[in-house]
Amino acid sequence: MKLPRGQLVRSRVITDPRTVLVDALDRELTGYALLEPQGSLLLDDDGTGVLTFDEGVPVVAYHTGTDRGGPPALADLAASGPYDLELFAVHPGALDAVHHRDAFSVPPGMAADRLAGDQDLADRTRERSSRSRPAGVDAVEADDEAGSEVGAVEAFLDDAGKIEAIREQAREEAQERAEEWGFDI
Amino acid sequence: MVEALAVASGKGGTGKTTSTLALGMALAEQYDVTVVDADMGMANLLFHAGLADVETTLHDVLVEGGPPVEAAVYDRYGMSVVPCGTSLADFASADPTRLRDVVASLATDTDVILLDSAATLSSRAAVLPIVLADRVVVVLEPTIPSLSDGLKVQEYATSYDTGTAGILFNKVRDDDAIDRIAPKAERYFEGPTLASVPASDTVRAARRAGQPLLAYAPESAAAEAYREAVRGLSVRDGDSAAVADRFRSAVVPESL
Repeated sequence: MKLPRGQLVRSRVITDPRTVLVDALDRELTGYALLEPQGSLLLDDDGTGVLTFDEGVPVVAYHTGTDRGGPPALADLAASGPYDLELFAVHPGALDAVHHRDAFSVPPGMAADRLAGDQDLADRTRERSSRSRPAGVDAVEADDEAGSEVGAVEAFLDDAGKIEAIREQAREEAQERAEEWGFDI
Repeated sequence: MVEALAVASGKGGTGKTTSTLALGMALAEQYDVTVVDADMGMANLLFHAGLADVETTLHDVLVEGGPPVEAAVYDRYGMSVVPCGTSLADFASADPTRLRDVVASLATDTDVILLDSAATLSSRAAVLPIVLADRVVVVLEPTIPSLSDGLKVQEYATSYDTGTAGILFNKVRDDDAIDRIAPKAERYFEGPTLASVPASDTVRAARRAGQPLLAYAPESAAAEAYREAVRGLSVRDGDSAAVADRFRSAVVPESL
């Protein structure tokens, strides 16, 4: 995926991807976010997630580590923070070529659901998206999205390896911090 | 008897405070319940419980030379409620480690202590309620980030020898879906699914009205779900004096 050069509007470490999704939506940003998981505990954590926006609404997702695009890229990126975030703004139309790659596209509310787990934000994003689109299209898409969210949560819970890795990392973190914080365990 | 339960989620926006007060009111039908807003950096229980204007809060009690905890206990909705203030300056001057003594002192005179915990695991003050509690109730939304954070909360709890009383799914929009998700989630959590609380505008309206859900809309489906959760939550008998001693002796650093 070839991204146009953009203007850096935010660069920081975030623990919750919700931050960037809200930021992009509030700014009505046309541009893209690069999200690089800081830990590399899981194999698919290696690499960077790319999420593009059109007036604040996510359009395309891609993961450089797994070379997957669309919803699978969001699954690769989910629950693997904290992330190094860089958010870029581009001129209107600069992402047209990227946004025409349907295979990489994600439904408008999916990033809010999967990366942030925020159903209200997903609704707001879908609402924003529907403003510039014909009535009816998004209602159908919203139903499809709800169904695929459930599927994604089930797939996550079926991935025993990823869950064990999350637990293992949390256990190690808890032990380290207990020592650091002086808790007796 | 006394048992301290931390209501925790690891992630914001799951409805933890609503859940804490709802579980508290449902438990109060059988037990003497004390609810403490232990989310000291982002306190909001006072807004949910109509206590926004009270003079003395947990923050005051946690300051060296501050009043005894009794001054911050308010009888509301059949429970004893200890709200926390929202001023960052007060948070800065409060010493969260004193929470240990506060809990110990409250433990001598109640059946159940519910600690509304912070929606983060990133500081000592935030993790302290989980360390002090006997068990955690993990509040989850049926989303990947929420489940992931809930699992982290449980691992922290286990590391500090705190058990899992159960999981509570909140803001549930699809009953059929939760019937498939909950059994899969249970494989990883040490406690049962206590209830699935449906998403509802009533919950938001209750918050705007400054009332706990079970007072504002006791007949709502969400309120009934919390009562069902409590039926599955067997409060354990703990010897008050022993529990109080345990809280007092919990090893917590003096400076945060």
